[in-house]
This record gives sequence, structure tokens and C-alpha cells, in this order.
Amino acid sequence: MSKTTIKNEQNFVKNKPYYESVGDEVAVFTAAYENQLPILLKGPTGCGKTRFIEYMAWHLKLPMVTVACHDDLTASDLIGRYLIKGGETVWIDGPLTSAVRHGYICYLDEIVEARKDTSVVIHPLCDGRRLLPIEKLGELLEAPGSFCLAISYNPGYQSVLKDLKQSTRQRFVALEFDYPDAATEEAIVIKESGVDEPTAHKLVKLGHMTRNLKGNGLEEGASTRLLVNAGKLIHSNVAPVHAVDTAISQALTDEPDMFQAVHELSRSIF
Amino acid sequence: MSNQSRQNLLYRIRIQKDLEKIVGPALDRLSNLDAVISMIANLNDRQQVFIYQWAGLIAESNTELAAHFVSFAPEAFDSMIDADVQKWIDLFLKNYDNHGLGKAITSLEDISGFTIAQKNKGVRCSLQQTSVFLQHFIRGLGGRELKISGNDETYTNTEGLFLPESISLFPQPKQNFTVYKLTAAHLWAQTWYGTWRIQVLEKLTAEYNDQKSLNIFNRLESIRLNYRIARDFPGLSREFSEFENRDPKVVALWKLWQDRANDLRSPTATAIDTIGNIRHFEDIDMPALQSYQGEIFLDRIRETMLSRIEQEQIAFQKSLDKLRDDNAPKDETDDDFVAKQMLEVSDGDSDDGEPSETNFQLTLDGQPIELSDDLKNLAGSIMQDFGEIPDQYMDPMEQGEYSDALLSQNGESEGDTDPDLNETGTFQYDEWDCTRQRFREDFCTLRELVVPPGDEGFISETLEKYRGALRVIKKCFEAVLGESRPQRRQPDGDDIDLDAIVNAHVDMALGKDMSDHLYTKYRNQERNVAVMFMVDMSGSTLGWVNNAERESLVLLCEALQLLGDRYAIYGFSGRTNKRCEVYSIKDFKENYSLEVRQRISGIRPKAYTRMGVAIRHLGQILQKTHARTKLLITLSDGRPEDYGGYKGQYGIEDTRHALLEMKQSGVHAFCITIDSEAQEYLPHMYGTANYAVIDEVEKLPLKVADIYRRLTT
Repeated sequence: MSKTTIKNEQNFVKNKPYYESVGDEVAVFTAAYENQLPILLKGPTGCGKTRFIEYMAWHLKLPMVTVACHDDLTASDLIGRYLIKGGETVWIDGPLTSAVRHGYICYLDEIVEARKDTSVVIHPLCDGRRLLPIEKLGELLEAPGSFCLAISYNPGYQSVLKDLKQSTRQRFVALEFDYPDAATEEAIVIKESGVDEPTAHKLVKLGHMTRNLKGNGLEEGASTRLLVNAGKLIHSNVAPVHAVDTAISQALTDEPDMFQAVHELSRSIF
Repeated sequence: MSNQSRQNLLYRIRIQKDLEKIVGPALDRLSNLDAVISMIANLNDRQQVFIYQWAGLIAESNTELAAHFVSFAPEAFDSMIDADVQKWIDLFLKNYDNHGLGKAITSLEDISGFTIAQKNKGVRCSLQQTSVFLQHFIRGLGGRELKISGNDETYTNTEGLFLPESISLFPQPKQNFTVYKLTAAHLWAQTWYGTWRIQVLEKLTAEYNDQKSLNIFNRLESIRLNYRIARDFPGLSREFSEFENRDPKVVALWKLWQDRANDLRSPTATAIDTIGNIRHFEDIDMPALQSYQGEIFLDRIRETMLSRIEQEQIAFQKSLDKLRDDNAPKDETDDDFVAKQMLEVSDGDSDDGEPSETNFQLTLDGQPIELSDDLKNLAGSIMQDFGEIPDQYMDPMEQGEYSDALLSQNGESEGDTDPDLNETGTFQYDEWDCTRQRFREDFCTLRELVVPPGDEGFISETLEKYRGALRVIKKCFEAVLGESRPQRRQPDGDDIDLDAIVNAHVDMALGKDMSDHLYTKYRNQERNVAVMFMVDMSGSTLGWVNNAERESLVLLCEALQLLGDRYAIYGFSGRTNKRCEVYSIKDFKENYSLEVRQRISGIRPKAYTRMGVAIRHLGQILQKTHARTKLLITLSDGRPEDYGGYKGQYGIEDTRHALLEMKQSGVHAFCITIDSEAQEYLPHMYGTANYAVIDEVEKLPLKVADIYRRLTT
């Protein structure tokens, strides 16, 4: 039986990702990693969860496997499956298995989106056992010391059907993320998009305005990511109001009244 | 008398007889009857038929109104096109429905006003069209929640923005829309940039409480606000100048005022500085207000602010007390210790003095505390009034000083007539009038109330009584869940189907085509159902029916817990269109908790059955949930009926129309009834397959769960 492995060097985060620390999250993550505790990142979309984990992978000099969870993701997609190749069945490791085998960081993004059975397969990995049972191979894979499991989820918008079970969440060290304060967010927008300070100031102000609307017609306010996107367009000489319309307003809502409100808000500051 | 005039006379007599037949004696009370009849005689046949038809329909509501209609109809046909005559009728009928005869006749007689409004319609922008946008826009700008509502005067009372019902100042609708936006933004700026700090209000009331001084204050304050807006919202400021009055005299006057009050055009100027300037402007001409400027009503602001300040102080102190309690070390429950904790507030460096949550930090014994969103909003609102959090707000609350009524200060629950019910909001709904074939706009006023908890013993008694039956019901429901089996022989899937592989190999060995359906798929047939139960709480359910309804709900909830479907339970009742009521028993977000059980037990018969409005309201709640299948199930004991004409065909047609509206928006409706005559009207209302009649009340609890299972599998 042949084995397909993911090449180590491809998964390294080579360049230092830009990450603006807002508290002691780097220290907490490092401590949790050293104690072999799995980590749960909570926070609204686009506030920097994925960027943080990339930064930590770089910081800890570990390769990272990211799985973007979707509602069709099953346990076999994570662990692996037999495929048929040339009349023979061949076992293919899934991303989680290969991360455990080699001691990487495995990052399951938006875990609640995945099917329910996936959260159960990670349970034995997340407590003192640190084991991954691979039923179909009859193997019990023990995670090496360098392996680290991190998952993320957004407690804000998911429906009641997609809540994280207590038995799952109580296995993790939870780090809560939120949008950074105005000054930090401005620095991030400047650094990421290349716009000048006054423009960044206005973008952040607009971000706060849309966050005022959260729960009153908008499911979420504009994330830092959206502000950066708008900044990039502005930096590439798209007119500011138009850039905001396309990068922020349209991304936030389909409802005409709400779109117009965000549009007029951006017109009022630019 | 010539032949011609004799014929005319006969013709007029015939018209008068016809109309008398339709309208009745009210027609004879018209002072200008002869003139009206001859004017009608001059109209063409189609117009005459139109008048006859509508006079008849209106006479069913009110003969006086019908007589007035007849007397003004010729003038209406004379001064507008036929399609507008229809709109004119709709307008005064709407006024009749909502405000009574007086208002209806006033609007009926104001034909010239109606024609002007009709002409302006092309350029006009109405508040109705813009209010949703404006609400979002103002909320986005930040600060305390401001409610947008229509009013003849344009002003703010610091909790609401009052704007005209429509604006037609400019030739383009888009321009009038912008005037709305700018007016709202300008009023918002008053609340945001400290025009109505408490110090300002006190000073104005004490020293300048006359109309002239207030007018001067309004203009000067506008100069200050425009400067602040220009700094923070350059885009808005550009639009302000676009919409300024272009009359050279007005422009010159504003220029003069701006120059004289130049000290107000600074980021540090406050409304107190504006007051200081009033004296210097008493002797010069006042410029006209700009199109986007509102007026100032000091007494209204005062009233709103004082009551808010009182409530917010209590609410704030109460929240802080709670914070102190929550943060008290667990092993120290000693009251003295709690009192010793130091809560401090730092307003941060608000360089330009505008309130915002970001420069507000609360510390307890030197440790910063994370604030809840509610408390943040409250603190923000207090800072809008004071510019800071006053020291006395930080003191612990004296015991027994507050009442819970004051704390529910979201503005929605006020003066409840029924003391044991908590009201959570009022809503307006249209009602379908089958005789007019039109909606009566905003005809029904509906309140949402919460059922007071009842005796919990009822639940355990029911569970005991139906113990055996419940076991059967649960088994059936479990079978529904078990129906998700692995699907074999799929082209792709989670696992390999070994049987299929073996077969395929056999096929291959025999030289046949090999199937590529070699996988199994574990596809849970995920249930994605949201169901709304609408329970008849009319007076006729008194006794057995009410008991059976409550028992059904208990059994159903037990069974539904198993299925995991999202469900809500509401009761409905009411008396007249002004007092329609729905009672929340369980909303979609709630669990099947003790409270819900107590509410089920607390369901009691109320008044009548006005079904249409309840369906519209509950249907809307249902539509807000995300589910593939949405179901509205009515438990009822009879036909729709309410005080004041809502009976027979009218009630049935309105209900049917409401159900059709639901169907169009993807909601399936189903009715379970115990009315043995239901065959007569239910097929018409719900459709032939969408109802079930249960002949014995005692069977209702057993049947409901069974029907539900059949409906959703």
C-alpha cells in the first residue's frame, strides 16, 4: 500500500505574517501549545483569527494544515479514505491524519459549519489522550508533542442548529477575538492596504458606523478585512465612495434600503 | 314645456330615484341635491355607473358618507382623470376606516387639495418611502437610538426625529429624498454634538425661554453644527451647501451671521458658547431657515430629557450594583466589603467633546471592566446628556428606590391596560375587505403580549393522564428520525460499498461494463422544519376545548423535543380591529423550559377570533426563521368572528386572503379544528387538503401530534 504524504516544506509559513497583537493572545497561545492544549478561537468574521494562527505557525516555526469546514465536510474527509486506483484500494490520509502523523498545526476553520460527526472524531485528540483512532485502518495514531489542534468559530451569526456542543468546546482553551480598537484598526488598514492615514481614519469610522447597524438590519458590521479590501481598491485609484460600495456595502447586504444607508454613510464621510 | 325639457326632467327624476334607492334618506338631506342630480345627468354612462356602484359600497359602511360622495363625485370627475377618482375614494375610505366619519368627510371635500397632491406626486418624496433608509442611516451615524416618525413640525425631542410626511420642495424626487436625509442628519447632529446637554437646557429655560431667543439660538447653533459636520462628514457638508437657499438676501444674511459668530466655528465651541452669543444678535434681521433645518420645541425636549435622565440614572446605578455584586470575590459575601470596592469612570481624552463608547472606561478597584452592550449604550446615552458620567451616578443605589417599571425603559412598554400581561410591542396590519375588493390600510392594531404563567400541576397531570399515549407518539416520532439510512451504490460518497465492488469485479471478470456506483453515502435526511402553532384563545374555547388545546400542546411539545424541529406557539384573540392581540407562549428562540410549560398551562379564553391579522403577524415571525419548510398550524374551534362586522363572508375572505399571502411567501398553512361545520368554509380558506376536523374534543391531544407527524414526513 502506498502512502501519500504532504511535503513538510510546502506547509511552512515562510514570511512573517503581519499581525497586530491586541492583548496577551500570543503568550496564551504559546503557553497552551507548550502544555499540549488544543485552542479555540472565537470571534466575528474578518477580525483576524486566521491571520493570528498563521502568525503563530510562523512564530512556532511549525507547518500548518488548514481545513476550511463546510456543511458537507465529513469525518472521512478529515481522517482519510480508501480510494480505488488501478483495481486496488488505496488509503489516502486526510488533512487531520497527516497533521497528526507529522506533528503539524491543524487548523479547522469555522468548525461548526462541518457535519456533526467531525466534531466527535476530534474529541480523543483534544483531551489528555491525544489519540486519533483511524477505524478503517485499525490504527490508533498518537499525536507527537509538536502537534497542535486549533479550531475557530463565530459565535455571532450561526443558527441554533450550528452551535458548538459543550462536550467539544469544553476541551479547548478559548481565545476571544474582536475587532481591534480604532487606532490599531487604522494601523492595520494602513499597513495592509497602503492607503494614507486620513483615508484609513475614514474607513475605520465607516466600519464603526456599520457596526452600529449590527442586529438592526445587518447581521454583521464591516469586518477589518472588508475595510482593508476597500482600502486596497482606494489605493489602486478607485474612487473612495465606489470602492466602499463594492468592497463593503455590497458585501454586507442585498437589501436596497440598507445598501443605500451604507452608501449614504460612506458618501457623508468621503 | 318642450318635449326636450320634459325628457330631461324625467331623466333627472330617474337618477334621483336610483340614488335614493342606493343611499337612502341621507341623500335628501343634501342641500344642493337638485344641482348635484343635474351634474350627474351630464356625466357619461360609465361615470354614472361608477357612481352608483361606489355609492352602494360606501353606503354599506356609512350612508352619510355615501351621500357626501354622491354630492362631490361630479366635481371629482370634473377636476381629475377617472383613475384619480378611484384614488380619491381610496383615500377618504382609508380615513374613514382609521379616523372615523369626520376626517373622512374632510378629505372627501378637499378635492382641490387632493388634485394638487396628486400633481406633486411625481416629485414628492414621502416619509413612508424613506423611513427605513433614514432609520438605518441615523443608526449608522451613531449615538442614542432615535425613532423616525411623521409630524407636521420638524424637530427632535432627543429620542425621536419628527419629519414631515412628505417633501416636495424641489422639482426632482431625488432632491427631495436628499432633503429628508439632510434634515434627519441635521437633527441628529443636535443630539450628537451636545446641543441638548442638560446644562444647555437649564440655561435656555432659565434665561432665554422666549420664541425670539430660541429662533436666534436655532440659527446660531446651526452655524456651530455645520462647522462640526464639515469637519467630520465632508460629504454631508457638501450636500448641505448644495441645498442652501440661493436667494441673495438670505445668502448675505447668513454670511453676516456667520461672520459675527465666528467663535462658534471652532472644534471646541459648545452650545453654551452659542447661548452666550444670543444677545449680540437680538437687533439684526434673522435669515430664513434652510430647507434642512428643523425647529426647536424646548418644552418637548425638556419633558423627554428629564424623564429619561431619571430612568437612566436608576438603570445605570442598578447595573453598577450588579457589576459590583458579580465582581465581588466569592468567599467574601460581606456587604461592607462590596461597598468598599471602588468603581471609577474615566472619560478618556475626548478632545472634541463628542460622546462615544470608545473613550469610556470603567474600572473596579483599578481593574478595567468589560461592559455589556446594554450598559455601553446606556453610558453613551448618559454622556450625550451630560458630556460625562456625573459622580452621583457612580454611587451605589439606595435600597428600594427603583421600580422595575422604570427599568424597562426601551420605550415600548408603557401604560399597559391589562396588568398581568407584559406587552412587547404593537404592530399595524392591513385587512382585506372583500366587498370593496381592496385592503383597508393599517386597519388593525395588534399587540404582542406574553401569557402569564399558570399552574404547573396541569402539565404533570397531563403527562400522567396520557402516559401510554405519549409513549406511542414518541415511538412514531423516533421512527421518523430513524428514516435516514445510508444510501448504497452512489457515484460518490463517504465510504466504499463493498457489495457493489464485489459485483463490479464479477461484472469485470465476465467482461461486462463495470458500474461506477461504488460508494455509500450517509446522508442524514436533515430535518429543516420551522413550525408555528397558532392557538385559538377566543371566548368560545372556554371549558373543554381550552383544556384539550392545552393538553395537545403539552403532548406536542414533548414529541417535538425529540424531533428537534424549531417551533413556536402563539395564542390569538382580540376585540375589534383596534385591539387585536397575539399571546406569546413560546417563541422560536426559547427552549421548552419550565416557563414555557407554565405559560401553556396559563392559556385562558379571551375574547373574539380575528384571524386574518393574527395570521399576518405570526406568518411574518415565521418568515424570519431560516428553514426549508415553514408551517403554520392553526388550532381552532370555529369560524373567524369578531365584534363589528368581522363575521360571515367578510371574516372568511380576510382570513383566506391572509393565508394566500402566506402561501405566496412560501409558508404552508394547515388548520386543525373541532368545529363540525368546518366543512362549509375550511376548504375555501385553507384548500381542500389542508385541514383536519376532529369530531371529538377528547381526541384532540392524540390527533394533533399524529397529524403533525404526517404533515412533516
